Order: sequence, then C-alpha cells, then structure tokens
Amino acid sequence: MLSIKHLSASVDGKAILKGVDLEVRAGEVHAVMGPNGSGKSTLAHILAGRDGYTVTDGEVHYMGRDLLEMEIEERARQGLFLAMQYPMELPGVNNMIFMREAMNTRRKSQGKEAMDAVSFMKLVREKAKLVKLDERLLKRSVNAGFSGGEKKRNEILQMALLEPLLAILDETDSGLDIDALRSVADGVNRLRSPQRAMIVVTHYQRLLDYLEPDHVHVLAEGRIVRSGGMELARELEAKGYGWLLDEVAA
Amino acid sequence: MNQLIRHYQQTAMRYIDSRHGSDGDWLTGRRQAAVRHFAELGFPHSRTEAWRYTGIEGLMRQGFELTDRFDAFPRHAVMRRFLREPTAARLVFVDGLYQADLSDTGLVGVRVGSLREAMAVGDRQVLEAVGSLSGLGDHGFEALNLAALQDGAVIRVSAGVTVQQPIELLHLAGKGATGRAMCPRHLVMLEADASANLVERYLAMDGETAYFNNLVCEITLAERASLVHQRIQQESAQAYHLCDIHLGLQGEADYQGVNAAVGGAWSRTRVHCRFAEPGANCELDGLYLAGEGQLTDFHLDLDHAVPYCDSRENFKGILHGGGKAVFDGLIQVREQAQGSNAHLSNANLMLSRRAEVDAKPQLLIHADDVQCSHGASIGQLDDQAIFYLRSRGFDEGQARRLLCQGFANEIVERFQSASLREQLSEVIGQRLEE
Ligand SMILES: Nc1ncnc2c1ncn2[C@@H]1O[C@H](COP(=O)(O)OP(=O)(O)OP(=O)(O)O)[C@@H](O)[C@H]1O
Ligand SMILES: [Mg+2]
Repeated sequence: MLSIKHLSASVDGKAILKGVDLEVRAGEVHAVMGPNGSGKSTLAHILAGRDGYTVTDGEVHYMGRDLLEMEIEERARQGLFLAMQYPMELPGVNNMIFMREAMNTRRKSQGKEAMDAVSFMKLVREKAKLVKLDERLLKRSVNAGFSGGEKKRNEILQMALLEPLLAILDETDSGLDIDALRSVADGVNRLRSPQRAMIVVTHYQRLLDYLEPDHVHVLAEGRIVRSGGMELARELEAKGYGWLLDEVAA
Repeated sequence: MNQLIRHYQQTAMRYIDSRHGSDGDWLTGRRQAAVRHFAELGFPHSRTEAWRYTGIEGLMRQGFELTDRFDAFPRHAVMRRFLREPTAARLVFVDGLYQADLSDTGLVGVRVGSLREAMAVGDRQVLEAVGSLSGLGDHGFEALNLAALQDGAVIRVSAGVTVQQPIELLHLAGKGATGRAMCPRHLVMLEADASANLVERYLAMDGETAYFNNLVCEITLAERASLVHQRIQQESAQAYHLCDIHLGLQGEADYQGVNAAVGGAWSRTRVHCRFAEPGANCELDGLYLAGEGQLTDFHLDLDHAVPYCDSRENFKGILHGGGKAVFDGLIQVREQAQGSNAHLSNANLMLSRRAEVDAKPQLLIHADDVQCSHGASIGQLDDQAIFYLRSRGFDEGQARRLLCQGFANEIVERFQSASLREQLSEVIGQRLEE
C-alpha cells in the first residue's frame, strides 16, 4: 500500500530525514517511535503533502502511484489521512459543516451521493459518542479554543467519518486522559480491516498495548534504526533510547 | 467642475419645477434651499479628508438624471426576493419608487407608509421631519438628495409598542433605473419604549444596469426605544450606491445595526450617530466584500456628546482581485462625555496582492473618565489552515471559501434573520470559490 524508499528531506537547508525505508501493506498496523526531534512529524507531514519540506532523495509510492507527485487533496481523496500532532484552529468555520463537507467531498470522489444534513447529523452524533467528544464541540469553530485532548478527539472523529485506507496518527495519544486514550484506541481498532493500514507515531507503550501493532520501528537521526515487534516497544519503555542509539553508533 | 455643478443645479431646479408645487410651500422651500446649499458645497473632492480615497470620477463621468421613471417587474419576480421569514410590514421600492400593490402596511400602533404619499397629501408632521437630523446635507450629494427627494419609507412606532417581526424595506433596481440618480430618504422614528426590527435591502434585478442610488436615512430613537437594523447592499455590478445614515439617540435608546456591502461598482455608507442624552447604546457591525472593479467605503462617525453612552463597532472586509476598500471609523468623545465606553475594531482579509485597503480608525478623546479602544488589522489567509483543509480533501478553492466564510461569520451571525445569513454566506461562497 505504502512504500517509502530511501526518503531524505530537509527543512531550510537542514537535513532531517536521511534515508527512511518503510513498507506498509494493507491490513498492517505500524508503530513509529523515536526521540524528540528525530523527524517523525516531518515524515508524517511529507506523506500528507505539507509544504516547507524539500525532498532531496528517495521515493514514496501509495497504492501504486507516486505519492509525492499527488496534490494534498488528491492524497486525502485517495484515502490517506493524517491525524495531526498539532491540529490547526479554523476560527469561524463550523465544525459540523466542516465535517459534513469533508465527508461529502470524499463521497463524491468515490462516486457516491452526498449525504443530506439530517443523516449526517445522526451519523456524526453516533461517532462523536464513540470517541467521547462532547457534542457541543460540533457546534463550535473547528478546534478553536479546544483543549489539547479535545483537538485530538476531534481528529479521531474526522478519521472515523472519513474511513481512510491509510491513517497516520501523529502522537494522537499525547495529551489524552486515560479514558480518551481507550476510546481513541477503540476507534482505531474499529477501523482495522484487511484493506486498511495505519502508521501510529507515539512515545508511549500504553496505546500500543491496546493496538497491538504488527511492527514497531524506531526513527532516530532521520533513519529507521531498528524494527521489531511489541517486545521492542517494551524494551524502549523500560530502558529508553540511549542504549539503542549507542548500539547504532557502534 | 463649476460647469458640472451648474448643470446639476439646473437639473435639480427642473426637477423641482416638474413637481408643480405638489409638495406644498414648505417642502418646496426646503428643496430650493438644498439646491443653494449644493451650489455652495459642490461635489466632494479628494482634497477633503473624508473623500480622499473614494474618488467620484467614475460617477461624474457617467452622469445621472433626476427623474421619476421606473419599469414595473412581474409580481412573481419581486415576490421571490421577499424576506423568507414572516414580516410585520413590507415596503417595496422599484427603481427608487414606492409600489403600494407589492407592499403590505396594515399594522396596529405603527405608521408605515411612503414619503411619496406623505408629500402628496402634504402631511406636515412627516415632511417637517425631513432633514431634522441631516440638515440640508453634509456634502453635495446629500444636498441633492433633499433637492430631488422622490420617495422613501416613513415608519413611526408609537410609544411602548413592540413590533416583533421584521419591517422589510426592499429596494429593487432594474433597467428603468439606467442612468438615473434615485434619491430616496427613509424616516424612522421610534417613540419612547418602542421597539422594532428593520430589514433593509438593495438588490438588482439585472446584474449589469448602471444607476446611482443616492440615499439618506434619518433614524430617531426616543427614550428607551430599541431598534435592530439589518442592512444588505447588493446592487448591480455597475451601480453606484451612496448612503448617509443619521442616528439620533435619546436617553437609554439602543440601536443595533448590522451592515453588509457586497454589491455595486462603488459604494459608500456613512453612519453618523449623535448621542443626544445619556445612557444610550449604539452597536454597529459590518461586512464588506470587494473584488475586481469594486470599491467599498464605510465611514463611521460616533459623536459622544453627552456622558454615559456606549458604542461598539466591528467591521470586517474581504478584498479579492483588484478590489478596494476604505474604512474610516471616527469616535469623538467630547469634554463633557464622562463615563463613555467606545470600542472600534476593523479587520481586513486580503486575498490578492492587487487588492487595496485604506483603514483609518480614529479616537478623539477629550474626557478623562472613559474606556475606549480601537484597532485595525490587515492579514492574509493562513497557509497552515489551507493545508489542514486540503489534507481533509478540500481543493484550494473550497478551502479558501471556507476560511473566508469563517472570517466573515462573526458579522454574518449578527444578522438575526436566518435567510439573510444564508443569502450572505452564499454570496461569499460564490464570489470566492473561483
Ligand atoms: N520549519 C522548520 N524549520 C526548522 N527546523 C524544523 C522545521 N520543522 C522541523 N524542524 C526540525 O526538524 C527536526 C524534526 O522535527 P519533527 O517535528 O519531525 O520531530 P518529531 O520526531 O516529530 O519530534 P517530537 O517527538 O517532539 O514530536 C527538529 O529538529 C525540528 O526542530
Ligand atoms: Mg512530532
């Protein structure tokens, strides 16, 4: 589904990614861990198409297409979704209308009829309940004045509505209380299917315990320096990154 | 220029003659005085601060006539434009002239009618209210409005009466307005403790007709009266629209005005508010949208002449293409006006490098025990917000539209009427999603 080969990228002339390789097949859940500033969000942003990054080497294919050549919205319409570490605030843009239009844009690209306001309302209420997002937040402006955790839940609600094929969650668990973490994990698990895949960027083992990823990767100094299973996540939780970075350096 | 002034002076005199004294001596005298006043004032020019950025060359080049011509429209075409909500009364004007058969004025405790009718029967009480707030006019066009006064709405709400549903003033301009200057004047008077909700709209039946709407609105609120005033200017793309609103607020009166200027080639709205007695409140919100070939101007003039009055103004503009906007917000707090609260804010969203805005908020404060603030900002759409929207599948045009509607929303929400809110969101959407 997603194939990243030797991806290198810089910001303002500073090299951040230095040859990332990652293969994600349909049905898989991948966790990406790594120290602060190692380039995890950079990788997620490049996959979603945010500007400001210069790809200096390597290639990325998504569903057989050259991802880096696709427009941002085209990626989204083809099922790629990024739940952001710091979701933007859109003052004045009503959350409910935003989600309905996003959903209908996606449906249109799938050749489906637009959903009417009443059916959408029903659906969004149902999904909001699942991610434990206070319904009142639907009437407010997108993310404007939301607490950190509310923003994250709002991202997951969008994911639940858009039903992406490839979901990238950038530290969606940071800033969530324990109950919310549980409901986010449930939301992610509910989306799991043989056709879909996820990349979950996280610093904590707790989310991974709920998700049971197929693969765990460590991104450090711009590269994937180690890949393994849940045992790698447990080892990192117990020992930190120091030993691994020493080993890699040796 | 002198020749032009003479030309319009003669045109105005001919207009007065064409009425054959049907206005009665008093109004005829006022009209003649207004012509003399016009001859003294001339047309505003760019050397006057208030007109510095709002040139009238286009209007002068085009010229205009003062006549009472109009073209009737099919009834259904007019009705389609009625406010969707139930109304307490409705006055329809076509090409500046009142249409009794399309209007509905039977209201208890409220006098609703047209100025034309009042002139026809020589209603002294109404006629003497003409110019009570505006005088003969602060600039040449306003003087011409009085000289060639044709029609307008007369609304008088009796003491203690509350009119819940909106009173609708609907102005439609079509081919019959071509080349004309329409000179309507609205007189609104709320007696003590009365309250009402006025919806005033200027719409074009034909998007390309060139005309000049030169209007004046005089609104008096007596003690504790309150008025909600919702206005939308959506004239044809070739039209000139000039409006002077004069507010006279007596003790504890409350005026809430919300304005949107989205049409016309050239439009200028001035709101002049005079606080006559303590305890009054004036709130003004406004939205303007100007694109290629458009100029929009708002001039606010808040005169805190007495103590303990509050004013709040919030105006937002979206400029795209080669659109131009002028915003001038003046708050004067006079020496005796202790305890005044006055807050003014103006924000502009520039969608193109060619767009222009001249924003000038001004505070002139001569009292010490007051709370005043003002601010103006000019910004662009946030790239990160556009990225966020695109990452949810919106194309760039949709993303810009949503963000612009979001920016405008704070003002759109101030319109109480849901159908006006929808009308505005739609206009913004159509105009900005290329
Ligand atoms: N616009 C920018 N200008 C300069 N440096 C940048 C910019 N964006 C990112 N960086 C740098 O790139 C590096 C990688 O940042 P990134 O956000 O990808 O890290 P991360 O792995 O997601 O970290 P965290 O775990 O803290 O979220 C950091 O050193 C960061 O300061
Ligand atoms: Mg990060």
